[in-house]
Amino acid sequence: MTNLIHLIWNEQIKLYARKSTWVMFFALAILVLASGIISRLWDSEFQTTEYGTNWQVELQEENIRLTSEMDNDELSKLSNPFQLEKNMYHIENEIKPLPYDGWQFLYDNSFFTTLISLFTIIIAAGIVSNEFKWGTIKLLLIRPISRSKILLSKYLTVLLFAFTLIFFLIAISLLTGALFFGLNNPTQTVVLEHGMGYAHGSLLNVILKDYGLSLVTLLMMASFAFMISTIFRSSSMAIGLAVTLMLAGNSIVLFASHYSWAKYILFTNTNLGQYFNGAEPMMEGMSLSFSVTILCIYLALFLMASWVAFTKRDIAGH
Amino acid sequence: MDKPAVTLQLINLKKKIGNKEIIKGLDFEIHSGEVFGFLGPNGAGKTTTIRMMVGLIDITEGDVLIEGKSIKTDFNNAIQHVGAIVENPEMYPFLSGWKNLKQYARMVPGITDHRIHEIISLVGLEKAIHEKAGRYSLGMRQRLGIAQALLHKPSILILDEPTNGLDPSGIREIRKYIRALAEQENVSVIVSSHLLSEMELLCDRIGVIKNGQLVALEEVKTTENSTALQDVFIEAEPLAQAKEYLEMQLSTGIRLKGKELILSLQKEEIPSILKKMIGQGFDVYGVNVLQSTLEDKFFNLIGENSID
Ligand SMILES: Nc1ncnc2c1ncn2[C@@H]1O[C@H](COP(=O)(O)OP(=O)(O)O)[C@@H](O)[C@H]1O
Ligand SMILES: [Mg+2]
Repeated sequence: MTNLIHLIWNEQIKLYARKSTWVMFFALAILVLASGIISRLWDSEFQTTEYGTNWQVELQEENIRLTSEMDNDELSKLSNPFQLEKNMYHIENEIKPLPYDGWQFLYDNSFFTTLISLFTIIIAAGIVSNEFKWGTIKLLLIRPISRSKILLSKYLTVLLFAFTLIFFLIAISLLTGALFFGLNNPTQTVVLEHGMGYAHGSLLNVILKDYGLSLVTLLMMASFAFMISTIFRSSSMAIGLAVTLMLAGNSIVLFASHYSWAKYILFTNTNLGQYFNGAEPMMEGMSLSFSVTILCIYLALFLMASWVAFTKRDIAGH
Repeated sequence: MDKPAVTLQLINLKKKIGNKEIIKGLDFEIHSGEVFGFLGPNGAGKTTTIRMMVGLIDITEGDVLIEGKSIKTDFNNAIQHVGAIVENPEMYPFLSGWKNLKQYARMVPGITDHRIHEIISLVGLEKAIHEKAGRYSLGMRQRLGIAQALLHKPSILILDEPTNGLDPSGIREIRKYIRALAEQENVSVIVSSHLLSEMELLCDRIGVIKNGQLVALEEVKTTENSTALQDVFIEAEPLAQAKEYLEMQLSTGIRLKGKELILSLQKEEIPSILKKMIGQGFDVYGVNVLQSTLEDKFFNLIGENSID
């Protein structure tokens, strides 16, 4: 056990000694900051409006104004219906609109988890193959430590890296959000865009669910890249394949969707959000437990293949 | 005198890759405190054998026992006695020498910072230890490689072509550590090379490998043995009179080859003969002593004293 911790510690040192790792954190920070600045400058009108005790009346007045705007202005015809609908939702469900704040900014930033998936894929793709590239694999594997343990330490390092990035995203988003928009109580009920319409719930719950669900794709694609890099000992191949698949995932599902076996495709199951948004699942016969089972099978396959390739094969050549 | 303990044993070791048998059944033992030279031309199978010894590649047939433990079935207990460099000493280029060593220190329990400092001063890397290893010269990387191999006080040190790419002073220095380790710390050292000249000065015993087979296994005799006869080549003028004079002085025969006289002498006879010749007014242009007989012996076996 101390062994494993030392190995993970070693991996952390190797990871953070390289500039490319810091570039990822830096890029994320810049993007979050930029999105904060843009939100602050351009969306200020609706987001910073404070509503009083007569908020229902205020909303109705706002809707009348929005509707009249649409009669005169072409641009408003496109943008105003969304705000109209949202205001209606507030009135119908008796939820007082809260001003935009750091927590909502955090919620809006959840799409950056796609970028985190990409970064994690890059790390997963290099963590084994780089040792081959550097030639250091020969020094790593002649210690009194089993190859399985070394592989495990590398896999855990990839997961640790993903979590570190996510915590970093959350921290930097809250910080930027607090600075630009202030912070309210995150357990208040909010109305948020949800699929095609709107839904409401405790903001904190919504945030946790959103970030949590994004971990699924991240975990699966990072494990896939880890496998490819361990089998083929090439990081560029692993990055290429994993990113292509991640981007093409939805198209693959769409393309195969009229076959019944499509429900066994990895990408049909990575979006667990389909079981929480009230709509029908993507295909007949699918349920949350079905998808979780399929995901576990894929994960086990990826990890088994990595393990076999790493522990059984000769370390020859360069 | 008792033979020192066997530390490493190859038993009918074979390696097949595809249909090609690369190592065809090696059988030999290495004792503690011994420097064993593993000599053979490029492509003979030295690196492949070493990779099997340290468990980097599978053994097709046979076994390697390290301190009696099989590298195949008892890897952790076998490998803990081994320090090695396989082919080039490759390090993490973005970490300092110190941080590279710390990586390996963390992988074995009980290696203190004090021990790391001790090894660094042994290999003479104190000045550069906090520089990035990527900026090291080949010689410095070789030293760092040796440091890495010695951290955990192994009883067997395996070095694959450690003198590759080093200048003569670097080679001399490595020879110094290796002899010291064997003589003072009783470490068994296995050194591979394709250069006989280097191995002779360094090793106690040399095994010659060719096409995956051991073709010779020889003790290296120390030339300190002063009663042994050595061939001495003397270039002197006038040649005919010199030959005549020496024939009067010595009982043994004297051969003439080109401009040189070849004498069989004991080491301690050489200075007095030379003094006499000079005293007689002969002009001596050169004296060569053929140091070794190993060269002749191995030359035919290896084919050449090859340089790639
Ligand atoms: N992975 C491999 N696949 C096929 N042949 C190999 C492989 N590794 C080494 N060889 C062959 O095995 C022979 C021995 O190589 P090697 O052990 O590197 O020799 P040395 O270290 O003595 O120069 C060479 O002929 C080489 O071509
Ligand atoms: Mg070699």
